[in-house]
Amino acid sequence: MDDSVARFRWLRVPALLTVVGLLVAACGNSAPTTSNLASDQSLRVNNGVEPNSLDPGQEQYDYEGAIGASISEALLKIKPDLSDAAPATASSYNVSSDGLTWTFHIRSNAKWSDGKPVTGADFVYAWQRILDPRLAAPYADPFFDGSIKGADNYANLDPVKDAAKIPDFLNGLGLSAPDASTFVVKLQAPAPYFKWIASLWMSAPVRKDVVEQYGSDKWATSPTSLITNGQFKVSEMVSKDHITLVPNTNYWGGAPTLTKIVNYEISDDNQAYAKYLNGELDIVNVPLANTDLVKNDPKLSKEIKFVPQLTLFWMDFNTRKAPFNNPKARLAFSKAVDRDSLAKNVGKGRWSAADFFIPKGMNGYRPDLGKSQEFDAAAAKTMLTQAVGDPSKITIDFLIRNSTANKQIGEFLADQLQTNLGVKVNQVVIDSKTVTTRLRKHDYQLYVGGWGADYPDDQDWFDIWMTGSGNVFGGYSNPDYDALVKKADIEPDAKKRQDYYDQAQKILIDDAGGGFLYQRNYMMLAKPYVQGLTTTAQDFSTVGDWFWGKVSIAQH
Amino acid sequence: MAAATAVSLEQIDWENPEQIGLWQDAWQRFRRNPIAVAGLIFVCLLLLDALVAPLLVSLHLIADPLKQNAANSYAGFSLQHPFGTDYLGRDLLSRVMFGARISLTIGLTVQVIYLLIGGTIGLTAGYSGGRVDNLLMRFVDIWYAFPDLLFLLVVVSIFQPSLFVIFGAIGIIGWVDLARLIRGQVLSLKEKEFVEGARAAGSGPTKIILRHLLPNTLGPIIVSLTFGIPRAIFLEATLSYLGVGIPPPTPSWGIMIQDGNQAIFAYPHQVLVPALALAITMLSFSFIGDGLRDAIDPRMRR
Amino acid sequence: MAVAQGAPRRGALVSFKIPRGRAASLSLYVARRILWLIPVLFFVITITFVLMHFAPGSPWDREGKQLSAAVIRNLNAKYGLNEPFLAQYVRYLVNVAHFDFGLSFQYEDQPVSSLILKSWPPTAVIGLLAFVMIVIFGIGIGVVAALRQNTWVDYAVVGFSTIGASTPAFVLGIILIIIFSVTLYRITGGNFSLPTGGFALDQHLILPVVTLATLPIAFIARLTRASTLEVLRQDYIRTAWAKGLRERLVVTKHVLKNSLIPVVSALGPTFAVLITGSVIVESVFAIPGIGRAFVVAVGSRDYPMILATTILFSVVVALANLVVDLLYTVIDPRVRLG
Repeated sequence: MDDSVARFRWLRVPALLTVVGLLVAACGNSAPTTSNLASDQSLRVNNGVEPNSLDPGQEQYDYEGAIGASISEALLKIKPDLSDAAPATASSYNVSSDGLTWTFHIRSNAKWSDGKPVTGADFVYAWQRILDPRLAAPYADPFFDGSIKGADNYANLDPVKDAAKIPDFLNGLGLSAPDASTFVVKLQAPAPYFKWIASLWMSAPVRKDVVEQYGSDKWATSPTSLITNGQFKVSEMVSKDHITLVPNTNYWGGAPTLTKIVNYEISDDNQAYAKYLNGELDIVNVPLANTDLVKNDPKLSKEIKFVPQLTLFWMDFNTRKAPFNNPKARLAFSKAVDRDSLAKNVGKGRWSAADFFIPKGMNGYRPDLGKSQEFDAAAAKTMLTQAVGDPSKITIDFLIRNSTANKQIGEFLADQLQTNLGVKVNQVVIDSKTVTTRLRKHDYQLYVGGWGADYPDDQDWFDIWMTGSGNVFGGYSNPDYDALVKKADIEPDAKKRQDYYDQAQKILIDDAGGGFLYQRNYMMLAKPYVQGLTTTAQDFSTVGDWFWGKVSIAQH
Repeated sequence: MAAATAVSLEQIDWENPEQIGLWQDAWQRFRRNPIAVAGLIFVCLLLLDALVAPLLVSLHLIADPLKQNAANSYAGFSLQHPFGTDYLGRDLLSRVMFGARISLTIGLTVQVIYLLIGGTIGLTAGYSGGRVDNLLMRFVDIWYAFPDLLFLLVVVSIFQPSLFVIFGAIGIIGWVDLARLIRGQVLSLKEKEFVEGARAAGSGPTKIILRHLLPNTLGPIIVSLTFGIPRAIFLEATLSYLGVGIPPPTPSWGIMIQDGNQAIFAYPHQVLVPALALAITMLSFSFIGDGLRDAIDPRMRR
Repeated sequence: MAVAQGAPRRGALVSFKIPRGRAASLSLYVARRILWLIPVLFFVITITFVLMHFAPGSPWDREGKQLSAAVIRNLNAKYGLNEPFLAQYVRYLVNVAHFDFGLSFQYEDQPVSSLILKSWPPTAVIGLLAFVMIVIFGIGIGVVAALRQNTWVDYAVVGFSTIGASTPAFVLGIILIIIFSVTLYRITGGNFSLPTGGFALDQHLILPVVTLATLPIAFIARLTRASTLEVLRQDYIRTAWAKGLRERLVVTKHVLKNSLIPVVSALGPTFAVLITGSVIVESVFAIPGIGRAFVVAVGSRDYPMILATTILFSVVVALANLVVDLLYTVIDPRVRLG
């Protein structure tokens, strides 16, 4: 053997290993790898306002649901396309043939954040609590007291004077848990939409022992006592600054990819926008005035997320006072507004013009029904003159809430009505609370009202225009409409149901119960490294906030 | 008070000595102060603008501040719109010009309220002395203990804002300084001889106050009122900025600033234009006030 | 804000005459001033309470979905709003005496006092920093301007103080944001700018503090300058120059002590300005302090919060004036407490 070669013999193994190693490394980069995930899986979003409460029984606003829906889980949960409510804490449910009894089967591995199992009794306790007049739960009416058997007496019980009657009332409700993994609800009347009520985040279970230990007012105010059953739980609450969520290790559905979600409470849109630009936020709302700037920016325009919202806004007419007691007059006003200009110029394309009632994204979306309210200035003026006489003699008190957004819309509308109809419009801009007081007292003529879906079922929408409803102040009343809606609410056959609702909507539009205007959309920016964002038309404060469990952060 | 003008002995007409009144003297001194004069010129232009603006609109020399053109919102500077347009396409130049009307109206009207309330209380307290004086001054102190903007916020948001409510609220809160000032003046003048003389001649207290005391205290009062104008303008603008100001569609600088604030990132000129108008106006009034004070009170010369 | 020199300050009494020895009269004076706080507070509370109560609008009126009549009835019961007015008033007074300001209407179930405590730090930090700046810069440039009268330094200072005293705080704040946040951001291609708002113990403090301090600095500078000029004209200063003493010695030993007297007395009302200024600055820069909490509370008819904040502000202003008046007597031995 040649001595020169033998000398290097010891290098054979290491050399081989090195070559193999290099080959593996080279191939490794082109092979599909699971780790393009960033090492820091935290998401930072802006909730805008500090939640008043994270107690499911006390929540009502979007900025509370944005967190509440992640930390508390109800029996069911909406699907991203809103076509149905899928099982969540309940693995399945059945409805009796008469539609009056709903039985939910709770997962055996559904656990609270402290490890204890979720039981039917937790739901009974939570729902009874909501219907306890002493709690003054904002969502008790109409969702719970309008559906659950025995709850229709809720409105008549005074929390102080009738205190002695309350325990019997609560025990007499149609709520029971025959065993730990079953929850049974008896209804007042068949309600096909009840599955949606069972998916409301406020209907999530609540732990009786926790509430009793810490106090009904206090248990939800600190992370240590806020025991919840959702995919995430609250780990930190810094008042007026942020709330941090981390995964609930006891959640039945497994761990999410995100390890932290920070919900900031930045109320000024421009500030939040600035923070997004310098990398302190991952998803942000585009301030209305900056819309064109963002659309024209080469980089930012690629990060836009445009998501319709199940909202609709209209001109609310006080039908008790002239000229709005005359349907033709109302219709004339509805035809006098250039909605396209409103949506395109004032809303900068973020709004979608709507001369119909049910927004896009709902099953009952029927844009073709809106023919009678289409914009036609000349026809509007003629119609008004024929209905009530000389428009220049009419003065309208237009109530406007004094936020910048409302003022902008109000000024535009007032100008449209004055220019196109020749009427005189008094813009009364006052603070939000006084506006509502005057609305309740029917001390107004015109107002821009709106509705946002609590859940994606027509029933939630159509009920508000029924005679005597407390959510529309104009006092609109049409017995044909009422009859159709009542039939539709309980109709089990889906096709017939939709048909009734469509007929009702046509009556509403032709009658101009409201002068329908526009639907809102979310326009937000999301960093490209935020993956798995699942947006729905029912998102709360940030697009995708119903399904944070599907989100992951790519390396960046 | 004779002015110290340089005249030679021959020029003096001993039969009819040249007398220059307090006001002419003050005016001459004021005139020599370039900054004060600049302020005065600007304020005069503002007054002119306030009076003439509607006329200009009807002559089509400037745009109608209320005319919307939503398709042309947030426009920049152009020949047609020298200051651009706002979020509803309204011409900013004419809106600023009309905003001056609101600011000046409030600034001036409120001074009248100050004079009525503060003047009455100050005069009464100063002249009466003793118990009445004490009582009134205690009342003034209590009233003074409240930070004015906060009280204003509370009052204006309760009684829904209209021009009348805002006048009233600003007026009711700010009269204290004037009352104190007048009282101080009256106290020092009360013991002067001409007052004793008037009393000896049999004049009643009202007559003494109005005919003798008031005219002599006018100087510092006018200075105080001049400084009160920018304060009132500022308060109205702040209220509008915080959302409790004059209702639309009337343009006021404060409202324009609040509206423009939304677009501060995208279109900063929306905010800058009314902000500068406000600042320069307040500055001008302050210059005038300084100039007046220097002119009237020789001791305060620089 | 034209406070004529020598005029009494907010919260101060017009005149006291206390004939006895100095130490005893000092403590009597303090005691009387603190006791005087009570009727003032009583007046403030009563007026605010009455206004709040007869204001239209109830705290339960919401934007959007309405609470049902049943729920509202329950809420009124919970907060005792069903009781007659006098009963509520008396109950409130009694509670205040025990420092219990009730539960907030807006942030349901949170005691107002804890809300105020949470909002307190940003306002205090910014206010204190502003105050320090006012004292250092206000007095500093005022003295320098007086010493260098009629030079460019003097003109610069006078110019600054005139402009600073006439520019509304929110205008200044907005202009600073445009220059240092928006424009700087564009110029540096997004690499550097000051934040447009929010509160943190870093460069977030720069713009708000500068905005808050500018008007008082302008005012104090003018006052200091005028007062220093007065003192400089005095004979005993002339003597010091004549003796050939160094400028620095003269200034620190003789001039300052005397010229600062009216300035110190003006520091009292400066507190009132800082408080009203904080309302504006916190709104412009979206700082979660008490000033902004007050504006928000006014808008949402959060009666307990409004009342408590108003009381707090009045107390702070009154106490600040008291401290300043005491300092005043310490500095100026000529002053008798009256």
